Amino acid sequence: MKLRSWVKAAGLVAVSALLIVAILIIGLLSFVFYNAEQGRDWSVPTQQVSDSLTRTADGYVFTGEALLRPENWAMLIDENGQMVWSWHKPDDVPEKYTLTEVAAFTRWYLGDYPVQCRVREDGLLVVGDQKGSIWKHDMAMRTESLLQLPVWAAGWFLMALGCVLALAYRVTRGWFRQAQQVRDEARTGWINGVSHDIRTPLSVVMGYAAQIEEDKALPPDRRRQAGAIRVQSQVIRDLVNDLNLTMRLDCEMQALRKERIQPAELLRRTVADFLNGGLAEGFPVEVVLPPEPLPEIAADGFLLRRAVNNLLTNCVRHNAPGCAIRIGGRKEGDQVVLWVEGGQGSLRQTVPVRQLEEDGGAAHGTGLKLVAQIAAAHGGQARFFTGTAYRCELWLPAWMQR
Amino acid sequence: MAYRILAVDDEVALQNMIREILAADGYTVEVAGSCAEALTRFRAASPDAVLLDVMLPDGDGFSLFGQLRRERDVPVLFLSARDEDEARLRGLGLGADDYITKPFLPQELRLRLRAVLRRVYRRGSETARLGETEILWGRGTVRRDGAETALTAKEFALLKKLWDSGGNIVTIDALCQALWDGPMVGYENTLMVHIRRLREKIEADPSHPRHLLTVRGLGYRLEREAEG
Repeated sequence: MKLRSWVKAAGLVAVSALLIVAILIIGLLSFVFYNAEQGRDWSVPTQQVSDSLTRTADGYVFTGEALLRPENWAMLIDENGQMVWSWHKPDDVPEKYTLTEVAAFTRWYLGDYPVQCRVREDGLLVVGDQKGSIWKHDMAMRTESLLQLPVWAAGWFLMALGCVLALAYRVTRGWFRQAQQVRDEARTGWINGVSHDIRTPLSVVMGYAAQIEEDKALPPDRRRQAGAIRVQSQVIRDLVNDLNLTMRLDCEMQALRKERIQPAELLRRTVADFLNGGLAEGFPVEVVLPPEPLPEIAADGFLLRRAVNNLLTNCVRHNAPGCAIRIGGRKEGDQVVLWVEGGQGSLRQTVPVRQLEEDGGAAHGTGLKLVAQIAAAHGGQARFFTGTAYRCELWLPAWMQR
Repeated sequence: MAYRILAVDDEVALQNMIREILAADGYTVEVAGSCAEALTRFRAASPDAVLLDVMLPDGDGFSLFGQLRRERDVPVLFLSARDEDEARLRGLGLGADDYITKPFLPQELRLRLRAVLRRVYRRGSETARLGETEILWGRGTVRRDGAETALTAKEFALLKKLWDSGGNIVTIDALCQALWDGPMVGYENTLMVHIRRLREKIEADPSHPRHLLTVRGLGYRLEREAEG
């Protein structure tokens, strides 16, 4: 996936996360305010209730009935714990209280009745509600903990954001993959179709060219021309094959069929096939192998032969009308290096100028891109050197006995 | 008796080319452009082998292969424009005798068809000529200047393997595989001894061979048409 896509996805996810958090907060606040405004909130205005209770010479006068709901009740307890006034007090609420009882109900419940209290000059005003109608919760926190609240809040926020981001990442990656898969399938299908359509006509061109080339009754010039057509047809065939395989490796549709392979055997077979294929006229190939056998490698023989063949073909393509090609293998630590060298002055020491770009470098053509892809698929690397002699090395891990 | 081959491909140009290539080698060639036509021709002509395209206008070659095989156990070579492993493995997995990917060189088609026919019918030319040397396959001998010399089993297998590859290079690994059914390690020198002895039997001047040629670092090849 391209960097731009990643940035876009990350931005999208961050904005979504912030939006979710904002909606949650707004929702919570709306809930609280909605309930409070409708007056159904438990918080009875005890101060107003207290203000509406006045003491006269004849006793207490209460004018705040409107402030209370029918299910509410109220009472006033003096300094000795004795009830001195009440309004709608249930019968099971006592009229006399000890210090301990007062301490308990100011925080929790008075005989299961949720109550609120207000301290007055002449005692304690208690306003109660129906049993079970309110859930009371006592909260206490160390001040220093309270001061750490912003840090905790930020931490929780980041964690929540992290969770949302991770989830969103998985989801968006799934989308991207799906989209990528659809594109890959379309691309592979198209290339498959085109290469299929090219193969049959190419068979005819190649077949007739080869027949004309073999016809000894024809003048040598004509046969040579036919040979050129045959060779170029083979070049097109290789190109179509490479294109197909590159696409399949790109889209991870080519399964590797690994087996233990002796590199020397693979090199000999590839060179023999290459020479037998009739593309190598004017290109003597020298196989250079160390006297002791090379370590075996775990590789897909078909793909690896294809890679080496592409390197040979590349030498031929860029060194017409002919040059000496050297091919060989050596051991480097726990790696096996297969190399192909061609072009003029093939014996000269060459200097590594640069390695192939990560994508195989479109400028190098499909053939070399495929070489890099095949090496990478085997957990190895293709190294290309330019110099007087063109040289490529395939570094592949040796087969390890476990 | 000439082998009769049925070539099934919907491309007329390719049909004609196959017909010309194989007719030049002495085969009788029937062609068909669809599954239906292929079945009709197959029943009428009773071919000795079938070249079968995988994608046909009225069906696929894999299904046709099954139908043909149900009628008669005939060698079949797929001739397909599909080069993916799955298609090739499917074709061979069904029991086809070979799978040739388009485009192909005439020589490749000839060699592979010949190999299949030889394997299936175990017939083939009783004798072959290598310059002044005549190879008598049936008797496992070679004849030079009127004198007949017997080949050892290994020499015979070696000569057969090289002859069958039609002038192409055969790697020392492939030769060892054919002779000892295993990898080359340890057999290289023994192989060279067998090659030297074979040269003494088929070459006029074994020190300067004209037919059994060494390809340095790779293997050997058998030049059938060396100038005399």
